[in-house]
Amino acid sequence: MSVQPPRLQEDATTVASTVAHLIPPAPRPARRPVKRFAGASVNLLYVPALALFAVFTVYPLVSGVRLSFTDWDGYSPSWSWIGWSNYARLFTDATFRSVLLTTFVYGIGSTLVQQVLGLGLALALDGKVRGRSAAKAIIYLPVLVSPIVMGTFYYLLFQYDNGALNDVVVALGGERHAWLSTAASGVTIIVIVNSIQFVGTSMIIYLAGLQSISPEYTEAAMLDGANAWQRFWTVTLPLLQPAFATSIILNLIGGLKLFDVIQVLTGGGPGTATSSVSTLIGTTYFANQAAGYSAAMGVALFLIIAILTVLANAALNRRRLEQQ
Amino acid sequence: MAIGASLTACGESGAGSGTTTLEFQTAQATDSPLLTVLKRVTADFEEQHPDITVDLKTGGNDYESQIKVRLAANDPPDLWATHGWSRDRYGQFLAPLNDEVWAEHFNDVLAPAMKNDDGEFFALPVDTAVSGLIVNETVLDKAGVTADSIVDWESFLQAVRAVADSGAVPLTLAGSKDGSAGNVVDWLAPGAFTDAQLASFTEGDFPSPAYQKVLDVLEQFRQEGWINQDYSSATGDDMARALAEDRAAFALSSNFLVSQAQQYTPDVTLQFIPVPALNGSKSYLIGGENTAFGAAEDGEHLEEAKKYLAFLATPEVDKALAESTGSLPGLTNVDADLGSLAPSYEKWVTPGKVALQPFFDRVYLPNGMWNTVVTTADSVIAGQSSPAASTEKVASDFSTLYKKTD
Repeated sequence: MSVQPPRLQEDATTVASTVAHLIPPAPRPARRPVKRFAGASVNLLYVPALALFAVFTVYPLVSGVRLSFTDWDGYSPSWSWIGWSNYARLFTDATFRSVLLTTFVYGIGSTLVQQVLGLGLALALDGKVRGRSAAKAIIYLPVLVSPIVMGTFYYLLFQYDNGALNDVVVALGGERHAWLSTAASGVTIIVIVNSIQFVGTSMIIYLAGLQSISPEYTEAAMLDGANAWQRFWTVTLPLLQPAFATSIILNLIGGLKLFDVIQVLTGGGPGTATSSVSTLIGTTYFANQAAGYSAAMGVALFLIIAILTVLANAALNRRRLEQQ
Repeated sequence: MAIGASLTACGESGAGSGTTTLEFQTAQATDSPLLTVLKRVTADFEEQHPDITVDLKTGGNDYESQIKVRLAANDPPDLWATHGWSRDRYGQFLAPLNDEVWAEHFNDVLAPAMKNDDGEFFALPVDTAVSGLIVNETVLDKAGVTADSIVDWESFLQAVRAVADSGAVPLTLAGSKDGSAGNVVDWLAPGAFTDAQLASFTEGDFPSPAYQKVLDVLEQFRQEGWINQDYSSATGDDMARALAEDRAAFALSSNFLVSQAQQYTPDVTLQFIPVPALNGSKSYLIGGENTAFGAAEDGEHLEEAKKYLAFLATPEVDKALAESTGSLPGLTNVDADLGSLAPSYEKWVTPGKVALQPFFDRVYLPNGMWNTVVTTADSVIAGQSSPAASTEKVASDFSTLYKKTD
């Protein structure tokens, strides 16, 4: 079923435009240097932000790309240019390949979980629900907490000895379980912890999206006899497309860059089974003393995220245009 | 302008007028026994030298990263702990100390690890690492075995089986965040290779079958359930507690672990014995540079830093420092009370009959291999990788890093 949106707003815009053409243009005010200066001063406000962006984003990026063509060990005063060797090594490094795969699991897994939970919570809290503000605050609160703190909290939960979860298991007559000891359980727990922490962001984005949908659309659908599921599927969901795009891309980037929670929960272990590319970059730089190779990994991750983001954005925009 | 100038002066010289502040990266956690002693003796030093203040900086698991960042930024502290790498990694940044007054007491046991071909060394050796297989005698007693009965690999395995049958954990280890999996390799590797195989490392050839033997041991221990169940989430502190509470029988670690365990149970019955060799040769001890402090060669306060090191090298101060780590002093003119480990030192070290093997990774593997050693051993212990696959990874990284350093 499809619902034709009302044309009231569009008609009003057309009328306003027509009227505007009929009104003679007002005489131009005399040019005064003060106004030009005022415009310039507004532009100058960008400078501090641009300077910070240049120092903390552009310079490290350029420096990282430069470093990726060297064999620098990360601390010695001497190094050599080695061309594309570090990038060639990426293609033959089995550890990098397996860690990249795990990183995709973090990125895609976290994104999926956060979309489902975030949208569900947004739908539950959209409308006049008792305790709505308190619930929103509680769900959003973990976003404000440092991932290190979040990771430590869950480490204390999943720890073998003294872990709260195992204490409960033992109290119920079960045996302690090493929750973080395998790749599968470690990766799953990390995805869950990351999703729980940032589900509040998705919820807020979807809530904003839901509140921007005019009730007239759903009312029209109701008049056409659409049930709740049909209204959600054919009216609400298509009109949430911009929110989907924002939330999915933000979560995907966050998941692919995951670092802190992994570091605290498993340290990337056992072995490198729960490592992400970000944690591998850290250990390659400092522990393996291969700063150049580590920088090449960083550039590769940057390109992967950029390409995936562009593709995801294009796909979501195309879907939105098709629905319009 | 005047305010700016005075602030700069404060930053360079410390809090008081004419006072020099030495920045000292200790690598010690806030609760470490060594840091407690360092704080006490530093206060004594400052009292004797009112013109020098020492800013003791603590460090945790990321100490290595911290110091590398400082070196990369060309902003080294005045003094820092070299954690086994005073010559091969930090030698290019540290001032040679072989002409210092106290240098004549340098323990030559440390020469292969700390001195270069010109006889220079770059750090004050506070202690000398001499370690073996740490045994909990109470746990062994309950299992019906004695430490003296462990004379070779077979008898060690028999003791392990007896401990497992008694319900205790034979070998306590901590997960990848701690690095104790790498210690197992460092401790067992000297007994897994022939002299020819060891020589091949220095020529760039990696003897994979022999290395795999070490990882096969870990695989056997994993399959038999001879390693603590909480391995993956355990820390070094958990290892100490397991020994202190008589829950575990053996550990392959430096004697610092014994000091840690004694903080929980002061009268815990821990000793060390020589490590049984995997290849059937004679048992051995592991040794080399342990706690050592160097001074930045290009530091603005090198003279003051050397003065501080000279103070730490005085017999009574070095004695206190070495005792806090449970290790032999690094200087020959110091006689430390080795506490509960004294019988082990007297039995195995003093007669000089047991061979002292260097830390395997520091001598035979290229600089930067430690993380690979830890993660590959960790993968085997956690059942995430086979010994063969992990050995292949070590061999690959060895090849890459060897080419770089060759």
